[in-house]
Amino acid sequence: MKYLLKTDWWKWLAIALLTYVFIGGLMFKVPSLPILNETIRVLHFHVPMWFGMLFLFLASVIQSIRYLSSNKVEQDIMSSQLATVGVLFGILGMLTGMFWATFTWGEPWSSDPKQNASAIGLLIYFAYFVLRGSISDEQQRAKISAVYNIFAFAALVPLLFILPRMTDSLHPGNGGNPGFNAYDLDSNLRLVFYPAVLGWTLLGFWIATIKIRLKLIKQKIDD
Amino acid sequence: MLRQLTWLIYKDIQIDWRSKYPFAGILLYITSLIITSYLSFTGMINSETWNALFWIILLFISINAVAKSFSQETDRTLYYFQLIKPELIIIAKLLYYGLYQLLLVGLALLVFSLFLGAPTGDFSLFFSNLILGSLGLSCAFTMISSISSKTNNNSVMMAILGFPVIIPILILAISNSKIIILGGSLEDIRDNLLTLLSVNMIIIALSYILFPFTWKS
Repeated sequence: MKYLLKTDWWKWLAIALLTYVFIGGLMFKVPSLPILNETIRVLHFHVPMWFGMLFLFLASVIQSIRYLSSNKVEQDIMSSQLATVGVLFGILGMLTGMFWATFTWGEPWSSDPKQNASAIGLLIYFAYFVLRGSISDEQQRAKISAVYNIFAFAALVPLLFILPRMTDSLHPGNGGNPGFNAYDLDSNLRLVFYPAVLGWTLLGFWIATIKIRLKLIKQKIDD
Repeated sequence: MLRQLTWLIYKDIQIDWRSKYPFAGILLYITSLIITSYLSFTGMINSETWNALFWIILLFISINAVAKSFSQETDRTLYYFQLIKPELIIIAKLLYYGLYQLLLVGLALLVFSLFLGAPTGDFSLFFSNLILGSLGLSCAFTMISSISSKTNNNSVMMAILGFPVIIPILILAISNSKIIILGGSLEDIRDNLLTLLSVNMIIIALSYILFPFTWKS
């Protein structure tokens, strides 16, 4: 995280990748399939949100662990700001997914196991912010919320990776629906999808570094 | 070590024994909860509703029973702090509230079967899943209780922090229990049962590692 705060070559990389993703994602030829049709392009804008969210939450948990071992306030600030941007990505992922589902599944919310799991996952992190708000002492807030962050991430992993696999899902690639790999005969989708994951994730970290800087400056002014 | 552990558990038993109202209160809570659900669900109980209702009731019982585990410790904290390692405290709490939870679950099952009918299916399987699930609930809530006891609004925070975290355990336990009640065998639920066990293990291990940090703050 310190490295990301100091360097900025990866911001140029993010801009380049996302420009490519917008052009490629909207213009390249996609396999034409029943029901999905052109909506298959959502792959480059919806799925990377969840990847970005997970990477941001993972970074947040790592900062929490480092806070518990070092007790430095910067680490707590980083952890909370990364979690905020992670939640933003989660909400965006949910909105894009619901928008897509309106046209393919016929309704925005079909009680799909993955939809439910991600809604609960977001609830966990909302609880994290409520917890932060409810403790006034700064040291105590940092410590308790770091502990909850680690504990919550451990609950999030089975929620997102194990439980949705137990029941059939409407998502492509689950419950007898062919996955994107099956459609992607000429690897055209993959050509955009992987850069999209990287680009959106980098954008998330970019937003997070701005928020972290702002908080650090506010902290300095307060001191 | 072992003497301190037994002493800590003994202390919890003594506290509960001395002021009997929390235990009596939870018993009354169980019966009134079950009677209320009996009155509102009569005539539309099938095996699946029975199962879902039973676990929801267990969830509420366990959050109410375990919520007090750390909030009653506030005035004793400083005293312990100098005597005992925090790891021992969390082990003692996990053990005590695990047993407490099992006792309450047993009573709840008794009252529940009286009003809404006994569970069907393989009994030993049903009970092993029940024990695993309720131990998971009590362990997770014990840790959450240690977190929420540090906030200003203890009881509300307990529900806000606890419910989302508990859902993986609850979903696994409910789906296992449903399969068992509908006549499934060990083969059908082996994977789920193992997942439930490993989620429990993760929660216990994390409580052991993380508790010293909440305790010292």
